[in-house]
Amino acid sequence: MSDTTTARIAGRMPGFLRRADPAVATAFACIILLLVFGSLYSTSFLSPEYLLQQLKVASFLGVIASGMMLVILLGQIDLSVPWVVAVGAMMACAAAAHGTAGMVLAIPFGIACGVLIGLVNGIGVAYLRIPSMIITLATNAVAQGLMVVHTGGFSPQDSASAAMRWLATGFLLPGVPNAVVVWAIVGAAMVFVLTRTTFGRAVYAIGNRERAAYLSGVDTRRIVMIAFAVSGGLSAFGGVLLAGYASKAAQAMGDAYLLPAIAAVVLGGTSILGGRGSYLGTVAGVILITLLQSILSVMQMPEAGRQVIYGVVIIGMLLLYGRAPASR
Amino acid sequence: MLPEIPKNETLLFQMEGVSKRYGGVRALEQAELRVHAGRIHAILGENGAGKSTLIKVMAGVVAPDEGRMTMAGNEVSFASPAEANKAGIVCIFQELSLIPDLSVADNIVISDPPKKFGMIDRKAQRKIAEEALARAGAADIHPLALVKDLPLSRRQMVEIAKALARKPRILILDEATSALTAADVSKVFAVLKRLRSEGLALLYISHRMHEIAELADECTVFRNGRNVATYKAGSKSDNEVVELMIGREYSHIFPPKPPAAASDRPPVLECRNLSWNGRLREISLSVRAGEVIGLGGLDGQGQRELLLALFGVLRGVSGEILVDGRPASIASPAAARAEGIGMALIPEDRKTEGLMLPMSVRENLSFAALDQVSSGGVIDRAAEQRLIDEMVRLLAIRTAGVDIPVGALSGGNQQKVVIAKWLMRKPRIILLNDPTRGIDVGTKQELYQLLRQLADADAAIIFYSTDYDELIGCCDRVLVLYDGAIKRELAGDEITERALIASALNIRSGAEAMAVGAGA
Repeated sequence: MSDTTTARIAGRMPGFLRRADPAVATAFACIILLLVFGSLYSTSFLSPEYLLQQLKVASFLGVIASGMMLVILLGQIDLSVPWVVAVGAMMACAAAAHGTAGMVLAIPFGIACGVLIGLVNGIGVAYLRIPSMIITLATNAVAQGLMVVHTGGFSPQDSASAAMRWLATGFLLPGVPNAVVVWAIVGAAMVFVLTRTTFGRAVYAIGNRERAAYLSGVDTRRIVMIAFAVSGGLSAFGGVLLAGYASKAAQAMGDAYLLPAIAAVVLGGTSILGGRGSYLGTVAGVILITLLQSILSVMQMPEAGRQVIYGVVIIGMLLLYGRAPASR
Repeated sequence: MLPEIPKNETLLFQMEGVSKRYGGVRALEQAELRVHAGRIHAILGENGAGKSTLIKVMAGVVAPDEGRMTMAGNEVSFASPAEANKAGIVCIFQELSLIPDLSVADNIVISDPPKKFGMIDRKAQRKIAEEALARAGAADIHPLALVKDLPLSRRQMVEIAKALARKPRILILDEATSALTAADVSKVFAVLKRLRSEGLALLYISHRMHEIAELADECTVFRNGRNVATYKAGSKSDNEVVELMIGREYSHIFPPKPPAAASDRPPVLECRNLSWNGRLREISLSVRAGEVIGLGGLDGQGQRELLLALFGVLRGVSGEILVDGRPASIASPAAARAEGIGMALIPEDRKTEGLMLPMSVRENLSFAALDQVSSGGVIDRAAEQRLIDEMVRLLAIRTAGVDIPVGALSGGNQQKVVIAKWLMRKPRIILLNDPTRGIDVGTKQELYQLLRQLADADAAIIFYSTDYDELIGCCDRVLVLYDGAIKRELAGDEITERALIASALNIRSGAEAMAVGAGA
């Protein structure tokens, strides 16, 4: 039977390839198209230095989008990204100002603050049944307020620790920026969690049909809560990396990451309704968005124009893939 | 066959040769019905006899495949409920259709509010609502009160007023009193009788025989999608009515039952005085290992709620559940499936409750048993594959590989996946909620065999089915539910269609009544 043969071959393929759908291929095709288009504008678009630089910039978005993807797979959304990024950055820098112990604990402390906000989101969505769009927006506002109190509204004076700077800008492997390595590790962990663990299965199941997952005896509320906590932690980690990259935190530093993170996930073929999507797609989406940003800025497109283009790209992708019926 | 019609009551609506099929199932077959102005006409029949399809055809919800309908002599056909409303047929369904946060007046005119310059004319709306409420005998309800502030019986009055505001000539009430207490029912009845005297035709669907006896002028019994008899109310005994409702064609072959499940074994699952939210009333039962217990009764008498309550899905259940004689606190499906309890529920709707349709057969099959093929949250793929292969073979699931979406399988095979996913856990207590609905005869046969095999392997099974044949053919005992309570327990040879229908309607069958008389 040819059907069973193909099924057997598919069974041998790694999970993330099996889950890949046309959207992922389209996203990669778009990346190549963008590069070709860019090289017509200037040949330096194809130079290894430029590409590596783009990959490094993409790493920050990549880490943040990983958490966003987890939440979108559940059929929810995390709008608290902007200020959780800032909380991660500011808290890590603040900790770094407290002697050696602070230096050592700066990164875990920053991430822990993000996990805490994520937990609040998760408890609100899973146990109190507040729509994620509302509670995450609210925690974002609270985080913003707390940070304004913390900094007095000015640019924070604390600097990033050496470890943070090394993580974001150093080179452990010759020629490969550490930020890219960090993203690769986060990405590998995400692929493993999504395809090999009971938690990953439960995330897809809840995104597809929460009631069926609950009636199968899975503690769906716990899964949702954990996913939001992970998303908060990864957003804060993105903030830590950004602070290391810029040597210090800044007000509203996360504002530029909410829409691109959602766009990257959706561009990568993850259904906005949840239950379907592969991490490979998110990787493609992140690179695509980063390249788009870079090319637009090289072409000196004003910020307003860039915003319009993001929005249009997201709407376009939703029309293309988001409305497709969940059962292929 | 039809009784004589007094001359002063005119024939208002007539249905001739109406048939409706759903796939291979004949829901209505050459159905005939005559509805007269100024009469209350009761419709009787067991589950699946065609009552609800009949109403849906009349109310314009479904279009019949063939046949004709006439209204006051003119042929009619309804493309939508709105067209049926316009022709004068209005339906009140069992579930209340009011919006709690709107006012009574808003609700009454909701489908067609009076307008003035494109805006809702609140004055006219209030007037319409007041008239309708007065006609429904509920002039004491303030039109601007919010529906959510009214008690249930008052809401039912608003429901009737809402129907009356559409100026019906035929009013259909589908189980409209099932949510009401006896006192409220008598108020509703007074209104219905007055509406009858005003010349309305009322079609009354109920399973409460005493209500029908009190209210109806004539009755029509449906069986297998056909109207088998129409008679003047009170001219037939309850026993004769049951006789008319019996007579489904036997189409299944069941595996032989063992000679009485060993009654000396201790019960695996017991519950005492289980109550929930007025939908379950003081239910006590016990199931032994190796026993198949059926839940009978008409649709919606609390059978589904009972299974969900046992499985830990419902909140606020009072009463006690014991597993192996020890009190068990089952607060969620996760607790129900855990070691020591080992319960499984095959839910009612496989598409929304049993399966994640877009996910693969593999992911669906192993989903409930993932904890048994993983360590530290990491899935052991080889162990998972072994279990899956075993289940696909055991249940003969026909699928082109286990990596295609489960939604691509036939209904019968989807149901097998739902059952297999629970069998992987080797449950000791299996609850089944109407598992054979919408699947082919061949697969049904396989499921009956499987059920008996599981029981022989010492599982305790509770099996709810809307198909009486299955209860008769599969179960060692049948508990018949009526209005959320167990009304009768039938065992062994007592499980007959006659006994099932009689107890489902909460009446005694004639033979027993005689036996009781002889004993006294």
